[in-house]
Amino acid sequence: MSLSRRLLQILNFAALVAMLIAVYAALVLAPDAINVDPSIRPAQRIIYFHVPSAWSSMLAFFVAFIASILYLITKHIRWDIWARAASELGIAFTVAAIISGSLWAKPAWNTYWTWDPRLTTYTIVLLLYIAYFMLRGAIDEPGRRARMAAVYGIFAFLSVPLTFMSIRWWNTIHPVIVDAPENTNKFGLGPNMMNAFMITNIAFIILFVTLLANRISLGWAEERMDALKERLNF
Amino acid sequence: MTYLAAAYGVIWLALFIFVFSIFRRQTRIDSEIAALEDALERIAPEDKA
Repeated sequence: MSLSRRLLQILNFAALVAMLIAVYAALVLAPDAINVDPSIRPAQRIIYFHVPSAWSSMLAFFVAFIASILYLITKHIRWDIWARAASELGIAFTVAAIISGSLWAKPAWNTYWTWDPRLTTYTIVLLLYIAYFMLRGAIDEPGRRARMAAVYGIFAFLSVPLTFMSIRWWNTIHPVIVDAPENTNKFGLGPNMMNAFMITNIAFIILFVTLLANRISLGWAEERMDALKERLNF
Repeated sequence: MTYLAAAYGVIWLALFIFVFSIFRRQTRIDSEIAALEDALERIAPEDKA
């Protein structure tokens, strides 16, 4: 077995263990929030997976952004593979965050969806990255496709910091969990809640790195397949 | 409790679908690479001749 495949297996196992610990931290270790209505306390535990999903999506888009810049500088296919892999992961985490957030919104805000600044900007992020893959699918020539995707990926990322800061800059009902300014809708995590929150965030970072490594490995296999097809004039 | 179960269910489902899609694509590409390498092996002796 090659070293990279063995490393992938170790990462896969680490991610599985980390996610099981995260479930324990979110459902057992974390105490009930005292600053919310008792009827919605069980649903409040959604934040332990909702927030890490959202932060992982932003991390994924940041990796895609850096990889896109590196592709334009070096023209090395490696960075195109990284950008594509990270963007795909970003979409998966965004979908998980939006749906889980919507399920928290129903008991907390009495609606599954509202055009709040955070929800609106995050939806725009999702649509921009879906368009990223539509753009890739529309260009046949690999070099041009990678170049156009890299330029688009850099501009698409501008929506991510805007989404992150939207709950701090604008009047919104979405709570600010960490480092909340005075005039915002603070959630306020107690010490034990913060421990569980950090554990789940670390678990999601391990999960993100693992999925990214697997997706990059798949990207290299796709490149190899394309190279073989070219040699055979397919 | 229903919303909590639904939210965790959705996240685990999204994760499962993503991992499964990677696994399926990897399996398909591995078999396609093997077939292409076989085809290349068959062509290579003709090229030498």
